[in-house]
Amino acid sequence: MRLQATLLLLASCVPSAVAIYRDEVDHIDFHHALLGVPSSHSTFFLKPSSSSNASLLYTLSEKSLLGAVNPKDGSVIWRQNVSRSAAGADIGILRASDGINAMVSAVGDYVSSWSALDGKLIWESWFFDEPIADLELLELKDAASPSAAKDTIALFGSKTGVVRRLDGDSGKVKWEHKDESGDVPFQVSSSSTDVFYISLQSALLKGYKIKVTSLDLLTGRQNQQLTLNSEGDISGPESVLFVGANTASPLIVWTDKSQKVLKVNVIGTKQVKTINVDNTSGGDIQSITVHAPKKLNSLPHFLVHYQTQSTSWAEVYHVNLQSATVSKAYDLPRLEGWSAFSTSTKDANVYFTRITQSEMSIVSSASHGILGRWPLQTPSMERALHAVSEVVTKGDSVAVRSAAALESGDWQLIRNGQTEWTRYEALAGALAANWAEEEYQEDLAHQLEVEGHESLYGAYAHRVKRHVKDLEHLPEWLKSLPKRILTSFVTDEVSNLDSFGISKPVIVATENGRVYALDSGKHGAVSWGVKAAETETWNPIAVITQPGIATVYADDGSSVVLNIASGEIIMRTPASTKLRSVAVLNDPPAPLIVGISEDGTPVESVDRPGFFVTLGSNGRLLGWSASNNKFPLWEFLPPQGQKIIHATARPAHDPVASIGKVLGDRSVLYKYLSPNLVFVTAVGESSATFFLLDAISGGILHATIHTGVDTTQPIASTISENWFAYSFWGDVSDGSEATGYQLVISELYESSIPNDRGPLGSASNYSSLDTLPLPYVVSNSFIIPEPISHMAVTQTRQGITTRQLLCTLPSSNSLVGIPRPVLDARRPVGRDPTSAEVEEGLFRYSPFLEFDGKWYLSHAREVAGIKKVLSAPTLLESTSLIFAFGGDIFATRATPSQAFDILGKGFSKLQLLMTIVALTVGVIILAPMVRRKQVDQIWKSS
Amino acid sequence: MASKPLNPVPPPQWVVALNSPAPNPSKAISRIPDPPGFSRSKAGGKNHTQQSTSTAAAKPVETDTLKLKKAWEIALAPSKQIPMNAIMMYMSGNSLQIFSIMMVFMLFKAPIQGLINTNTVFAKFDTESTRGKLLGVKAIYVLMQFLLLGLGVWKVNAMGLLPTTRSDWLAWESERQPLERAYFALS
Repeated sequence: MRLQATLLLLASCVPSAVAIYRDEVDHIDFHHALLGVPSSHSTFFLKPSSSSNASLLYTLSEKSLLGAVNPKDGSVIWRQNVSRSAAGADIGILRASDGINAMVSAVGDYVSSWSALDGKLIWESWFFDEPIADLELLELKDAASPSAAKDTIALFGSKTGVVRRLDGDSGKVKWEHKDESGDVPFQVSSSSTDVFYISLQSALLKGYKIKVTSLDLLTGRQNQQLTLNSEGDISGPESVLFVGANTASPLIVWTDKSQKVLKVNVIGTKQVKTINVDNTSGGDIQSITVHAPKKLNSLPHFLVHYQTQSTSWAEVYHVNLQSATVSKAYDLPRLEGWSAFSTSTKDANVYFTRITQSEMSIVSSASHGILGRWPLQTPSMERALHAVSEVVTKGDSVAVRSAAALESGDWQLIRNGQTEWTRYEALAGALAANWAEEEYQEDLAHQLEVEGHESLYGAYAHRVKRHVKDLEHLPEWLKSLPKRILTSFVTDEVSNLDSFGISKPVIVATENGRVYALDSGKHGAVSWGVKAAETETWNPIAVITQPGIATVYADDGSSVVLNIASGEIIMRTPASTKLRSVAVLNDPPAPLIVGISEDGTPVESVDRPGFFVTLGSNGRLLGWSASNNKFPLWEFLPPQGQKIIHATARPAHDPVASIGKVLGDRSVLYKYLSPNLVFVTAVGESSATFFLLDAISGGILHATIHTGVDTTQPIASTISENWFAYSFWGDVSDGSEATGYQLVISELYESSIPNDRGPLGSASNYSSLDTLPLPYVVSNSFIIPEPISHMAVTQTRQGITTRQLLCTLPSSNSLVGIPRPVLDARRPVGRDPTSAEVEEGLFRYSPFLEFDGKWYLSHAREVAGIKKVLSAPTLLESTSLIFAFGGDIFATRATPSQAFDILGKGFSKLQLLMTIVALTVGVIILAPMVRRKQVDQIWKSS
Repeated sequence: MASKPLNPVPPPQWVVALNSPAPNPSKAISRIPDPPGFSRSKAGGKNHTQQSTSTAAAKPVETDTLKLKKAWEIALAPSKQIPMNAIMMYMSGNSLQIFSIMMVFMLFKAPIQGLINTNTVFAKFDTESTRGKLLGVKAIYVLMQFLLLGLGVWKVNAMGLLPTTRSDWLAWESERQPLERAYFALS
């Protein structure tokens, strides 16, 4: 108690608002700026400027993030979120051409053009109710202005196709061609004179015919129409393997249903060339992929890649544009396992790069001679799904770098067989995360537990034995000592804080069935990543860690137990019932996890005292007795016309250092503290109601209603200690209300009178089932400049350090930690504080709360797409760990009351040591002199 | 062996004579009057008090009055310090600084020492005849010291060092424990 009081005094002495210093950046925090898994058809190397030969790697990912990556180190140069479509969009399209700065992307009904160098918007437009089907750039040979922005041919529509030519500089529609025939709009392709609109015309009985409509390039008028007899083969858009973009590959490729025959048509002609698939492997063909160059002046050669379960091979074909014939040039050998092919062009030459399990090789499209072959440095690579390559030739030698998207969701750049960098893009789909507990601590804890249960003598003997056993490590320790001392002078941090639990690994479960461990001591480097789900995707709902192991719970009722150190899967339980959430009973004897099914019913009843609070289906809150999962004890329904959108409770670890608030006159306002509080957000048509419930009885303790609320905007809320906070967009409903984003803070006290503990008095315990006193609530609301999408509270070991309200700001892509003293509900309104209030640390209320630059935990970083923020205590009272995930991954350490228990950087060990050395030397020199003088003095005096 | 000191040199005769007391004068010598200004009995301090008591015994009433007067002076001396101390304490402010802490410490030290030494202070005035009257004087003396102490307590209180308010005992109050416990699964 006394120690706590001292620490509290210490904590209150330091200023509450502290910023992140420049030299702490990248030292206390790390950030993975993620793009998401790159999509196969919208990823490429591109030279953004015609004056420079340097190329960047561009992608429009499956998360609809458009970004440029430096191929040298894998860092993101710029990125933009292009998911601004009004309608839900599945996959985006990105097109660009070498040497031209403007690149065009389309997602859903949103088409935009971006500067490839710096990611600035050139133009954007929305085509409502017309989702994009295909997009091509018009590669006209314009001698006058080779680097001018090129016009775009875009195909819109899901039912009726509309082909539009969009101006390259402004995005304005130059012409449009409407296809009223009811065909399924499919693709567009361009040549120097025509635009080919390819649609699928449903045949009489079944299947589709491919219809090619040629349109005039300048006016959009229909010139000619061809129909290919493909109804026996094509059952939908997915049956067509490939449609070329321009005259480099003027092709339509499809197969028959049994995948025995490949059919190739040169666009603009009626002939269909039939190629027999030479499948001698015996296995079924899983996929046939066509790889063709996209650059206009490259040779019209293409590669067909066949993949079976166990083998893969490829064939290279040449197209004669004059005679419109297709001829086979050569085969690439059949190899065991998977292959990933990619096309790259150098001038007119086309090169195909093949990446297999063990090696990467490169061939020219003209001949089958292998130009370069490199064994992979990390041969046990995950399967590469697709890749893009860039080839450099110098005389006879070639060099290649390939960016391969692996099955695990990683994006890897391989240069001549060597892995240059890996981007773990699967982390963009992180759904659940938690900090891991190291195992060695558990060992010690176990030993201490043994000692605690033994007799005094036995425990002492045990302890002596333990220490004697620890002596084994003495030689190692002594050996490492000089190094430790020396390095401690060099490192930034005065003392190595790893043993205080600030660099715990983080276990992250992603939606593609993977589990990763991020080492927060090494800038969040991935220490392992394993495929934990047996299915392609899963929905992990919780990661629960115990010393040494982590358990991931998925929503199908299955769970996977992993070893934290190695990522090895220890145990798996099969899927059972569909779960919505899990409840963690963290009490002795052993922690227990109880699944909560979709309708809010606990899956099993537990023979323990306690109550469950769950969210049920159709927006109701349910309270259960732990021993009875048949009928709920209570049910909370918001008023008619409202539905519960969010409910939150105090964190499981939420220690309270002081149970009262000391006022200026040294009297005490007692906090209303109860671990059984639920804070519920319910929204109606244009109102939001916030309920504070008691979780045992389901009784309402407090409720506030706000009218004129825009319920489409984010509404975030959190509760901790004796206060709760929420934010919403409030509009004018009557004259007095304020318009804008509001942040409301409410504090709960036992009584409005100081030194009064309310009706329960000094009772040491209470039951919610008896009449529970209502809290005395003080509230303040602030107008904030931007919306808050998620709220959390920093946590420290003993709760002595002041707390910060962690707010995710989606509009500025940042994470801000608002100190609690600023958000004090008792700040005096409309007057200056009295001297007693000043002593308490209160200052005058001002309705507008500007986010101070010092509060930004993410400082200059763009932390995008954050869905959840976690906070955990460390062994240092001053320090709280923060981990944000959902889109990007961001982790940092927060010290809301400054790092009062850590030696600061201003503390110079070297200086201290030098002072000690200097003083010792001085003493050694002076001691004989002083001794002589003293002897002399004795002689003189006697 | 070698470090054993040599036998000290015997002191000279005059040193011996100086250190040893003069031999008792013979009767004949004692009859010789002392020269003017020389007092034989001045050799020890003890003799002086004996002499004064012997003089007091000569005029007991007068000396008692004198002693009582002296005793009263001593008893009332602390009261003279009170205004000075009060001003000093008022001036030094209520903040916790080394200066004010030291002053408060001195403020406590002096009266406590005074209280402990009450009897020794008045010992020299203590005779059979003055004992009864000295009791009152002592009581006033103790009261004065308590006044000074009171000043110190007032100061400490003003500095907020006395645990007189509710907040001082807050750390010993405990959170009210709920009898039931709820587990949340709200995501």
